[in-house]
Amino acid sequence: MGSCLISADTNFDKGGARGATSVEVSTWSKADTLRTVIAAGIVASLLFAAFLLSGKEGTGANAAFSLLLGAALGITLERGRFCFFCIFRDAIEDRDTTPFLSILSAIAVGAVGYAILFGQFLPDTSTDRLPPNAHIGPVSLILVISGLVFGLGMALSGACISGHLYRIGQGSIRGYPALLGSLLGFGLGFKSWNLLYSKSISGAPTSWLPHKFGYAGALLITLIVVAIIALLAIKWGKNSTPIANPVPAALNSVSLRNSLIVTRWRPLTTGAIVGVIGTIAYLRIEPLGVTRQISTTSRTYFEGKSWIPQNLDGLDLMAGCIAVVSDAITNNGWLIIGLVVASFAAALAGNRFKWQQITWRNGLTALLGGIFLGWSSMIALGCTVGVLLSGTQSFALSGWVFFATVFFGSWMGIKLKLHKI
Amino acid sequence: MNKAVSVRTKRVIAALVSVGLLAGISVNTAVAAPKNLARSVVQADWLEKNLDNPDVKIIEVSTEAGLYERGHIKNAVKLNWYTDLVEVVNRDIVAGTRFQKLARAAGINKNSIVVLYGDKNNWFAAWGAWIFNTYGIEDVRLLDGGRVKWEKDGRAFTTTVPTPKDGNFVATKADKSVRATLIRDVLPAVRKKGSSDIVDIRSADEYSGKIFAPAGFQELAVRAGHIPGAVNVPWGSNVNTDGTFKTVAELKKLYSDKGIDGKKPIITYCRIGERSSLTWFVLSEILGYEVKNYDGSWTEYGNGVGNPISNPAGTIWGAA
Repeated sequence: MGSCLISADTNFDKGGARGATSVEVSTWSKADTLRTVIAAGIVASLLFAAFLLSGKEGTGANAAFSLLLGAALGITLERGRFCFFCIFRDAIEDRDTTPFLSILSAIAVGAVGYAILFGQFLPDTSTDRLPPNAHIGPVSLILVISGLVFGLGMALSGACISGHLYRIGQGSIRGYPALLGSLLGFGLGFKSWNLLYSKSISGAPTSWLPHKFGYAGALLITLIVVAIIALLAIKWGKNSTPIANPVPAALNSVSLRNSLIVTRWRPLTTGAIVGVIGTIAYLRIEPLGVTRQISTTSRTYFEGKSWIPQNLDGLDLMAGCIAVVSDAITNNGWLIIGLVVASFAAALAGNRFKWQQITWRNGLTALLGGIFLGWSSMIALGCTVGVLLSGTQSFALSGWVFFATVFFGSWMGIKLKLHKI
Repeated sequence: MNKAVSVRTKRVIAALVSVGLLAGISVNTAVAAPKNLARSVVQADWLEKNLDNPDVKIIEVSTEAGLYERGHIKNAVKLNWYTDLVEVVNRDIVAGTRFQKLARAAGINKNSIVVLYGDKNNWFAAWGAWIFNTYGIEDVRLLDGGRVKWEKDGRAFTTTVPTPKDGNFVATKADKSVRATLIRDVLPAVRKKGSSDIVDIRSADEYSGKIFAPAGFQELAVRAGHIPGAVNVPWGSNVNTDGTFKTVAELKKLYSDKGIDGKKPIITYCRIGERSSLTWFVLSEILGYEVKNYDGSWTEYGNGVGNPISNPAGTIWGAA
């Protein structure tokens, strides 16, 4: 299972060996009750925290909403095991491509949502304007390189950034050195930004499909591409788990509990929920992403140390998970807090919380992989969530380039066995 | 009993009539003359009643991207400050022909009442008001308190984008009486001391030359200080804590305490001319003084070779 220690495919019965007619009925112990009550308490306190935040003057309402979005995302990632690296690894190593479909489902559903919002946010696509805040980035050689580095970083550290975040909620310890590494990596990114910007990024085209094809055309193209990839993935998946979980014989409290908090959520459902959360995030706050706060913390810290340039050329005019210099918790910070805490609650309720073992060796690979992740997501203006998902959903060529290169980078990492160091 | 009913009826009729009269009066003020002093600021209650009034055209000019799209006042059209209202490449205000096209697309007619609002105390909405005045729209008003107050008061926003019918507004030539330029207005005012009042609306530290620009601002001048003879009235002092304008009496006093009473022509400036358009609006549209906004502002004046400056703090660029 490589470095996905927690990935235990709790619940896709491989090959359906145990029959597909009824869900294995787990016994409900006192410990389960206790865990579920504590988890419910945690979710309730998240809701209460959002309520308190919403009363804060000015940005309070957006902070509260971000916290709730993060909580929804945390539960979905944890329950659906929506970890880009685990998904890629399942496909590449085990030739199990079912989990991969969750990414495609997220792109497809999100693209429909974005098309609806774009139609209102920027009705006229014939000008060279871009919809506000959407993660549409420049497509350059540097983007290709950062995608590859990000993929290698995923293999080395065991997950992408959102993966580390939700797995911290499951008891991952490697997540901490990985996030520390990404803070350093962001610093290196800021240090190299001005050079890369003037050499390559500034002259790179920012390609947005609706400029050429309109929203209907862009959506159609996106859905066709998603369908083709899905077909290829299904064909490649020699050992794929069934797409659907076994259907419970009867709908009762036990089967409901099982499908909500015990069995892994189905990939298409998980992806669809991620797509809906992304759409709502764009409607109300900003496109979904998980690196803006990390980037902001890093930039504020290193700028305070005068270690990175004060002027990062062109950065503030770009769209993506861009750092601001701020000591306050950004909306994105609240989203991350919600994500980690809610993932913990979901893991606890389903009895998946387990402290992961850490050694010097895998701690160091996590740190190094984290540096890769941080550098590349600074340069690419986001990670697998901010650029890959939010980018492809908003019809940006940059999102697709990042998708392809991150996948290829992970593939190289897996072939080089970086995840088994 | 009958009597009581008839008295009540009479009262109701009287009330209705007076409401009608008041409504009539308010309709009249709605189409009142331009440069209508304190009436150039509209209250939210009035705007709420006139959202669907075809004579009222609502324009949002905010700085934060995505604000308008995620919710705006019903029937408001969005204008983007740095792409719609300026010529980006040449650093100039938007050209008349382009402005006319924009205004028509926003449904503006010759006799429309244009109400602008925006984020940050109407900071850029005021720039919009200045541009609208420059090109001859006669009745331009700002929403008191702007977007923030509207939201705080719990008034409704919508995400529906209006599709107005093209208006028939014809842009006039740019009105030189509201815009100051370095050569024509500012340098002569400096040379001929006492001929004009100059208002510097930046922070006290920028005015005194202690700093070049507040942290985080990109546009800079290589010299610190201010235009000789300028008085410092930071732009925030025009408004209350909730972003609404101070009363006419308070504003009059604010400026007369600094020696500005409208007897002389006034020039307002800041770093790039946007914040000073709010002070331009206060002095020109609310107090009715003769005011020009200097959009070149300190980034032009302070950078200009040989322009005389006053730099009390003595901060020198590049000096330790």
